[in-house]
Amino acid sequence: MNAESERGFVQKLLSAAPGLALIVITLVVLRLWVEPWMATSVVFGQKGWLVNSMHLNYILLGIIAGMLYRNLLFGGKLPAIFADGFRLSRLLIKTGIILLGSLYTVQAIVKLGAMAIFLIGGFVVLSIVMVLWLSRFFKMDRSMTAVLANACGICGVSAAVATAPAVEAKASHVAYAIATILGFGIVTMFVSPFVGHALGLTDLQYGAWIGTGILNSGQVLAAALAFNPKVAPGTAVSVGEIWNIMRVISIPFAVFAVTVWYWAGESKRQGAAAQKTLGTLLVEKFPVFVLGFLVMVLLTSIGAFGDVGIKGGPPASDTIKMLRLWMTWIFGFGLVGLGGYIDFKELAQAGGAPLKVGLIVGVTKYVLALIVVLAIKDYLIEI
Amino acid sequence: MAEPSDRIGSETVASAEKGKMTLFRDDRQEDWGAILVAIIVIAIIVVMTR
Repeated sequence: MNAESERGFVQKLLSAAPGLALIVITLVVLRLWVEPWMATSVVFGQKGWLVNSMHLNYILLGIIAGMLYRNLLFGGKLPAIFADGFRLSRLLIKTGIILLGSLYTVQAIVKLGAMAIFLIGGFVVLSIVMVLWLSRFFKMDRSMTAVLANACGICGVSAAVATAPAVEAKASHVAYAIATILGFGIVTMFVSPFVGHALGLTDLQYGAWIGTGILNSGQVLAAALAFNPKVAPGTAVSVGEIWNIMRVISIPFAVFAVTVWYWAGESKRQGAAAQKTLGTLLVEKFPVFVLGFLVMVLLTSIGAFGDVGIKGGPPASDTIKMLRLWMTWIFGFGLVGLGGYIDFKELAQAGGAPLKVGLIVGVTKYVLALIVVLAIKDYLIEI
Repeated sequence: MAEPSDRIGSETVASAEKGKMTLFRDDRQEDWGAILVAIIVIAIIVVMTR
């Protein structure tokens, strides 16, 4: 056990304060001063060009600021004093997603269920099968293939990490898979809002597209808030995230399927001992924060926080309004932190066959998701 | 293709303590942490808007 892991958690939290302070100050400055300034400033003779034409907002600027801190200001590595604070970014994003449960009711999710399961499930299976199939042509190692299949199929980092031990993957396999999907995801995160606005997509269409087509959960969130920073029922973030959560729930099932594929092709010598049952994987890998989200949906459905402000109904209660305001800040903090974890040097690790396969599958999924969403736009269910 | 484990920074996101994206021991512990923070946030908001 090293010194790092021997540190108590309270000590770790205290050590997170400077990094957290930097994140908070960054977002406060961007949201309260920079964005309002952009909205009124004149560029190329147009008032508010940066906001209206470039669609820049505090979310996108926050991610860019995090990236600049790490890669430019701090020379590629977060200084030790700030590192622990930035390590809280995923906690903040998960907290925000739990609170996001206040945007939905059980009835709305049941209404969405069949279509979301069909589309999300279809794209997860399609991505996994494509990676497995392409790996033959690119002669990829089976462990690498298995990790990349779930990274492309479900939600990137978590899926790659969850799959690795079950298929004897090396750290380098995980690194390749993560570098590939995060590199691709960064492009989609910045491109999607422009495409969405250019095509005149509604929040419902855009949320369904990115919730299906973008590989990484954090990047779905960023792309949704970059399109429309508002957090309310029916906005891009509410649609994109419910689709994304459907995908996250499938992690244990996809790990199981890919593990079965992996061991079916390996010699029997290690197989029996190393394979895990679906039940074991469900217990070990199920993302518990999703339960928090579901409890939140349940509490909202029974009116624990008052009226939710669904279109046509009574206005949202003060509690719900404040929850939504706090969510925008919590997501914003998490996304500045996420930007601080985008390391250009690590992304440069992506290469060779995994990069080619990852890009082929990623682009196919991204474009196909848009085509499918546009094709079924009249049948998309508003929640 | 060169193995990235031969390169600086290759321990990257998941494997090594110093490269981890979380303060927590693992994803499961982070999930419980998020639930706890969410409960605290909700409690504060409910008290403030009562």
